[in-house]
Amino acid sequence: MMVNSFSQFESPVFLTIPLIQLALILPWAFYPSPSPRWLSNRTLTLQNWFIGRFAKQLLASSTPKVHLWATLLVSLMLYIISLNLLGMLPYTFTPTTQLSMNMGLAVPLWLATVLVGFRNQPTLSLAHLLPEGTPTLLVPVLIIIETISLLIRRFALGVRLTANLTAGHLLIQLIATATLAFMSIMPANATLTSILLLLLTLLEIAVAMIQAYVFVLLLSLYLQENS
Amino acid sequence: MLSRVVFVSGMRSRGPYMLGTGLILYMLSKEIYVINHETIAALTIGAIAVYGIKKFGPDVAAFADKLNEEKVAQFQEVKDHAMSSLVQAIENEKKEQWRVDGRSMLFDAKRNNVAMMLETNYRERLHMVTNEVKRRLDYQIALQNLHRRMELEHMVNWVEKSVISSISPQQEKESIAKCITDLKALAKTTQAKATA
Repeated sequence: MMVNSFSQFESPVFLTIPLIQLALILPWAFYPSPSPRWLSNRTLTLQNWFIGRFAKQLLASSTPKVHLWATLLVSLMLYIISLNLLGMLPYTFTPTTQLSMNMGLAVPLWLATVLVGFRNQPTLSLAHLLPEGTPTLLVPVLIIIETISLLIRRFALGVRLTANLTAGHLLIQLIATATLAFMSIMPANATLTSILLLLLTLLEIAVAMIQAYVFVLLLSLYLQENS
Repeated sequence: MLSRVVFVSGMRSRGPYMLGTGLILYMLSKEIYVINHETIAALTIGAIAVYGIKKFGPDVAAFADKLNEEKVAQFQEVKDHAMSSLVQAIENEKKEQWRVDGRSMLFDAKRNNVAMMLETNYRERLHMVTNEVKRRLDYQIALQNLHRRMELEHMVNWVEKSVISSISPQQEKESIAKCITDLKALAKTTQAKATA
């Protein structure tokens, strides 16, 4: 029952049992587990190929120290992409629309990259605060700006994911409501809005995958910068 | 039994379709399922999903099969390579065995060679020895000849000397006058033969 447009983003509760844990665990049910066979079925082959390809592409131009993070980054990417894509189905709840969840993912990981950088090479990490080739007059201003941008990164990571997905879901809901409303009054308009809804859904599927990739890519970039 | 009646009737089993249609209509008419904006969204997503699977499904399946086939082909290649190298090893071993069989012939030939070399060497040395001995004997012969010739010459010289010394001057004059008269008589007879 739609009280307001944002009611679809409420944490689901069924008879006072919170279902958020179920929503968070759900992607696990859809991934095939590795089999001891040497030649596996198509699903598992494709999964292995995808994971290998993604990991190679993400970590190709990085040092072996960054490769230690491969498991974390790849599993994070798979988790977010599956949460996003499952959220495209009707009547489902997308946990990544919750700012709390995304900040819970972004802040600790960003903090880890910063701390790793400061622990291993403090001078180099601090040197990143001043880009090369800046005029002398701008140096103090630029340091402040770079520090603020460093501190903003965690919010940017979390809010980017939240905002993209929330906006997408909201738009789909609104346009679907419009289509439904137009169906009984002006079917021609309903056709137009349904075409728009089709295109928007395609876009949303793309955004769901891209946002997951961008999240993980940025984390890997911060890591490469700091390691 | 009811399921058999419901599901297996007629040439084609229309039972499940009937059940599905009936359920949907029941839920819609009794408003157990209410049509709302999510229905439209569901229809859209459903259309996209069906279209995507129908269009890209076979390609994705073929790609997955290709990945598996490449994996199998890689290992098959390794296995084939191992087998061919083993077959090659067997052939090499057979060749070595054949070589070993021919080893006795090789030894005979070598033995013959060595014997021939020894024989040649022996004959050369024998020849050399013969030559040396002959040279020495020739020298002795030459030496003896020289001795004999020198003795002969010496003897002839001595005889000549004694003969010449034994001829007295009177005898020499007489022999010379005799020679002159003989020559004159000879000249007369020759002259007379010439004019006659």
